[in-house]
Amino acid sequence: MLAQQLVNGLFLGAVYALFAVGYTLVFGVLDILNLAHAAIYMIAAFTAYSLVAHGLPIGVAFVGGVILAGVVGILLDRIAFAPLRRRNAGTLVPLISSIGAAIIIGAIARGIYGIDERHFVEGGIDSPPIHLGPVTFTAVEALIFATAIVLMLVLSYVLRATTLGRNIRAVSQDRIAAALLGVNIERTIAATFFIASALGGAAGILTGLEYNSVSIDMAGSIELKGLAVIILGGMGSITGAVIGGFVIGAVETFAVAYGLSEWRDALTFGVMFVILVARPAGIFGARALRNA
Amino acid sequence: MKKTLLCALALTLALGTALPGAAALTRGPAAGKTVKVGVIADVTGSGAVYGTMQKNAYDLANDDVKTGIIDAGGASLSFDVEDAASDPAQVVNLMQKFTTDGSTPLVLGPTLSGEAFRAFPIAKAANFPVMGTSTTAEGVTAIGPTVFRDSLAESQAIPPTVARVQQTWHAKTVAIIYGDDNAFTKTDGDLFAREFQKTGASVVDTETFHIGDKDFGPALTKIASKKPDAIAIGGLFPEATQIIAQAGKLGIKAHMVGGNGLNSTQMYQTAGPASVGVVVGAAWYIGGKYTGNLEFVQRFKAKYGTTPDQFAAQAYAAAQVVASLVKAGAVTKDAMLAGLRNVRVVQTVLGPIAFDQNRDVKAAPVVLKIVKGGFAYF
Amino acid sequence: MTFFVQFYAQHSRLLDEIGINALLALSLSVSLQAGQLALAQAGFAGIAAYVSAIASMQYHWPLFASILLAVACSTLVAALLAYPVRRLRGIFLAIATVGFGEIVRVIVNNLSITGGAEGLSGIPNDVNTGIIYGSLAVVAIALFGLARTKFALAVALTREDEAAARGVGVDTGLVRFASLALGGAIAGLAGALYAHAFYFLAPADFGFPRMEEILVWCVIGGVTSPIGAVAGAAFLSILPEIIRGLADFREITNGIILLVVILFAPSGLSVLWRARRATVPRDA
Repeated sequence: MLAQQLVNGLFLGAVYALFAVGYTLVFGVLDILNLAHAAIYMIAAFTAYSLVAHGLPIGVAFVGGVILAGVVGILLDRIAFAPLRRRNAGTLVPLISSIGAAIIIGAIARGIYGIDERHFVEGGIDSPPIHLGPVTFTAVEALIFATAIVLMLVLSYVLRATTLGRNIRAVSQDRIAAALLGVNIERTIAATFFIASALGGAAGILTGLEYNSVSIDMAGSIELKGLAVIILGGMGSITGAVIGGFVIGAVETFAVAYGLSEWRDALTFGVMFVILVARPAGIFGARALRNA
Repeated sequence: MKKTLLCALALTLALGTALPGAAALTRGPAAGKTVKVGVIADVTGSGAVYGTMQKNAYDLANDDVKTGIIDAGGASLSFDVEDAASDPAQVVNLMQKFTTDGSTPLVLGPTLSGEAFRAFPIAKAANFPVMGTSTTAEGVTAIGPTVFRDSLAESQAIPPTVARVQQTWHAKTVAIIYGDDNAFTKTDGDLFAREFQKTGASVVDTETFHIGDKDFGPALTKIASKKPDAIAIGGLFPEATQIIAQAGKLGIKAHMVGGNGLNSTQMYQTAGPASVGVVVGAAWYIGGKYTGNLEFVQRFKAKYGTTPDQFAAQAYAAAQVVASLVKAGAVTKDAMLAGLRNVRVVQTVLGPIAFDQNRDVKAAPVVLKIVKGGFAYF
Repeated sequence: MTFFVQFYAQHSRLLDEIGINALLALSLSVSLQAGQLALAQAGFAGIAAYVSAIASMQYHWPLFASILLAVACSTLVAALLAYPVRRLRGIFLAIATVGFGEIVRVIVNNLSITGGAEGLSGIPNDVNTGIIYGSLAVVAIALFGLARTKFALAVALTREDEAAARGVGVDTGLVRFASLALGGAIAGLAGALYAHAFYFLAPADFGFPRMEEILVWCVIGGVTSPIGAVAGAAFLSILPEIIRGLADFREITNGIILLVVILFAPSGLSVLWRARRATVPRDA
């Protein structure tokens, strides 16, 4: 049973990690906690659902949803954060702004889709279980896991080996120096939001596929969990967010496995609290954006 | 000559009462009066999944009063649904508004039991009649002598359901999985454990989840390792569908049973074939041949594109009860209160409704099983 | 005269809510004025609410005694929390305190003495509008008095520039501790009053959504202005009832109002009326 629980934890953790990576990217570059990230996660899932409902294959719908999420991210920055940046409003104000944006996105989703749960495939996605020794999972689950891993590897590559990645890291370390060195700050920030939101959106679509369920309260369940993950991993560290995701996935899974399910959230936040107190920089330290 | 006239009169009367849906068919003491009934429901927010169904039912009831399908004795009866947005503060404000501004003789709702515990004492203090249509926690009607409820309480639904399934299943071992952060689901979990034990089964594993959880892999893995004969789900349909679907994925073969919260066609829509055979101890059967029920389901589906669930049916039934009281002439809060206290039986989409001395609905659960696309009697 | 009587009969609950929300906003404002983004006030209020409810219901303590006990408990918890988080700043402090709030919520949910998920119902309703606003007045007067002391100066200095404050001899550790403890006391008072005014407590009453709400009140009203905090709380508490007519569009209107206010008045609405008086521009 332990092996199965391990696999459960890995699958859960992968999607948490993907979600957290977007959160932490924005924080690392802009010092902003974007509380609308979860709303984008949700709206991407709905977009993919709509595309599938109109007959498009799931692969196309996935890409469509991810791109829409990225675009919404750029819009979010333009409307809710950029004006405040110009006025030097600190870190608290953008937080409130993101709350307002999250409410608006949620209201739009509710207006378009209503409160019903939507399904990618009526009657359940037909994916027969695969048995690998003591472990059982479905092909769909494995695909989702693989997609999450691939996306995070792609991000890591972009940050490490492309000009854009270099610019993002420069802006996150020292915005003024980066500007002096000729980096186009606003464009880099826009790109950051695109990437972060696209990844968050991907996490949303994958979650929707995993459970064959998309609803507007998706956002609420993942919002706080994402915080715990990025604290664990170190705000601003991609690797940290990834590791944090898997750790939280494991904590949750094993809490249930050892009969502590009611205390699951307390354990997650307890771990987060201890890390903050003992090593505020998280596992991977420093607020500088590290490459994966 | 007189005979022909008499015959003609008798014929007209006979035809008149036989024609269904004819408007203003009966003219009761309240004929011509305007009665607006206040409803508190969570149309938005965390309770929206249930509150929207309730609102839809009341809107349909408004249509049905106008066309005479619901007979209000000629009164202009309508249901005014106010959204409490799942915010306890708004529930309280709405209850105060309704019980003091004289706009309504009765309040229906709110959606959630926790909200009821906050709002019903206000009604009690104002000696104002209220009826819950979905607030099934223990102690709701005990709040005060003006609090009624048309929704079957968990404590009324679960024991007969467990007894019934055990007659067929004879399960020796059972696992319980329930939501630990919601009054409704927690009550279900406790009741299932107790009732199964009464039938001689032993509880081999208890797992909990939180409302909003989607991943039940760890919990189900543990349950699977104990190989229970049956699994009892104390949950509402958003989580129950995932539990059942994922149990199917893990190859779990136990019998499954749940309470009221699973009474939604979403069950099959989300969980698919894995949900076939799951037993639901329900307060309403979508295919039940109660007075006007099948037609209600059809009209609801025609108007909204989805079939009604139990929340909708219970709301609609409340509307029917209120209409029957209005038809008898109750248009003030005191008359409404007296009417509720003395009501005998009202035929509704839930079946015949009457209230016991605790102002709870006198009814038994209907034990259903999920079949492809819907439900059937177990 | 009858107008007021009738108005009160129809809206007394809303008035009670505004009073309690004002207290909650003040409890956060106290921390924000010290420059601390400590988001634990909802948790403190929750602890106090349950303590006072249990004291009245299980142990039959009289109202004022149970409130006093509740405030003592919440203040103690706040004081204890101040120690582990003493070196955290900004968003990190915020997240740690949010985590604390969640841990409190889970504990309350899992204990049986608190009624667990079913909550605590039938709490005696012995707090009325007078007691609530009386308490608010007492707290307001106390804070007003504090604002004229040297301590208030130390608080402002700590907020503006902690290192500089230390440089001129301010014990910033004490400032941070005191502001958190004071916040704990005021939030505790709010929580205890809430329990005795609204009949019922559930673990979710004081979770993260509530804390978010309180934060929004303070920021909309003016981060460093206690009057702003109270105004923000009052305005946003009444808002749902004012825009009730918008029905389906209430939710999106809420978000739009929030966004618009924060984009045009990032320092809060209080700055708008302050700016009319002072000639020297102060960004709060």
